[in-house]
Amino acid sequence: MRNPVLLHKTASQVQQELEACIGCNECLLACPALDEPLTIDVLNRETFGGPISAPVARFARSCYQCGACVPPCPVGLHRDAMMMWLKIRLYRSGEED
Amino acid sequence: MPALRSSSPYDYAADREWAGTRGYPLFFAYLKPRNLLRIGLGLLIAVAGLVFCIWYSRNGSDPTPDSLVGLIYAVLGTAFLLLAGLLYSLHRRSRKSKKVIGGLRSALGWHMFFGLTGLALIFYHSFGNFNPRSGTYALYGLIALVISGIIGRSLDRIMPRLIAKEASKALTQDGEDRIEAISQQLQAIVEHNTQRVRGLTSSSASSAVSAAPERVRSAGRGRTLHGPWDLAYLTLEETPQELSRYEQSYRLVPDRKSPLSRPGALLPGAQEQMAALQAVEHAMRREQFYRYVIRYWRIFHILLALVTAGLVIWHLEYAASLVIPTLFH
Ligand code: HEM
Ligand code: SF4
Ligand code: SF4
Repeated sequence: MRNPVLLHKTASQVQQELEACIGCNECLLACPALDEPLTIDVLNRETFGGPISAPVARFARSCYQCGACVPPCPVGLHRDAMMMWLKIRLYRSGEED
Repeated sequence: MPALRSSSPYDYAADREWAGTRGYPLFFAYLKPRNLLRIGLGLLIAVAGLVFCIWYSRNGSDPTPDSLVGLIYAVLGTAFLLLAGLLYSLHRRSRKSKKVIGGLRSALGWHMFFGLTGLALIFYHSFGNFNPRSGTYALYGLIALVISGIIGRSLDRIMPRLIAKEASKALTQDGEDRIEAISQQLQAIVEHNTQRVRGLTSSSASSAVSAAPERVRSAGRGRTLHGPWDLAYLTLEETPQELSRYEQSYRLVPDRKSPLSRPGALLPGAQEQMAALQAVEHAMRREQFYRYVIRYWRIFHILLALVTAGLVIWHLEYAASLVIPTLFH
């Protein structure tokens, strides 16, 4: 049985992970939710802050936190947590509007 | 109270007005042309199969599961179900060199396509015969499996949004840990109030100390106790002890009506922070629950797939014992 679920990460932790990302694409290749071509640099750039483009927003909403992106990462990063941060930003922007 | 400075690298204020895509609706669907194609093809197979099934039931010579038509439905349906179970599982485990971005999503689309149309074909194969035999149990298993897949797919949409909502409560506007922020606030409140209370007690204590000799002096003004202590002598005037007892500043236990008797009154703001702390803890517990729902529903779906595979194999064995002798006759 796998370990207990890991909860969300903070903005600082997400930023650290984004800085550590080597852009190898392994997480995106393992993802069963990503339905369109997306480059990792665009995703990383838009994850932390600033405007979110439509393809990144579609991917963020479609991500279902399955965690399939975590084991293939050679650096041990948590793409699922980065996607959750994007989800939170989208969620909050919806609450404000 | 000292203002707590955020050390977050994320600037919420700057991010508030971003132009671009915003919002996270509860229900949404992104239907790409190839997804529509898959849905169209699935509907076509299901409807064509149904129409032929109805027509054959009315006009056909032998509308039973073990007739030629029934067996064609069975073989097609089983092939579809096998494809549903195997294609996606194998694609997930395939070597990365074979993968392309979006490939796994496409495989999941075909998984759902084959699962749903496969169930429809097996349903037509039954031709309305639901006797309590192995085939019926296999069909029930398949129905439960497909329903569990549909529910799982819906949970995969709903749960992550609920998680985002709860996680949002557990983070400050700047995306930092709210528990940490609240603990800092609490500490600041305690320190701030401790200083106030210290200031209060030291000023009141010093005034009491300076006032006490004065009262003693005024109480005893004009009357000095000279000579031996006379036990029969009782003064009707207030003693220094009585004076100090009536003094307001010495009433350290507030009476019940006093606003000071409210819990937390001696630490203003602390109660609100404690409530906020509890709210964050509840949010994190809910987040954990939603994450477990996603995880365990997937495990349930896979277990159901294994049980159903067992039921189908049991039924195939039974069907083989019926069909193989007729083939040799
Ligand atoms: C005959 C029918 C089906 C069989 C035998 C089956 C079997 C399986 C198996 C074995 C897995 C695990 C794959 C893996 O992790 O390696 C799986 C996953 C899944 N199935 Fe099915 N399934 C069927 C029908 C459906 C249907 C009809 C749906 C939805 C409408 C569905 C939705 C899903 C989903 C969402 C997953 C999880 C995908 C993931 O994140 O890995 N399944 N199924
Ligand atoms: S957690 Fe999200 S990003 Fe990671 S593999 Fe699953 S759906 Fe894709
Ligand atoms: S697998 Fe890890 S290092 Fe590679 S792109 Fe994804 S997050 Fe970055």
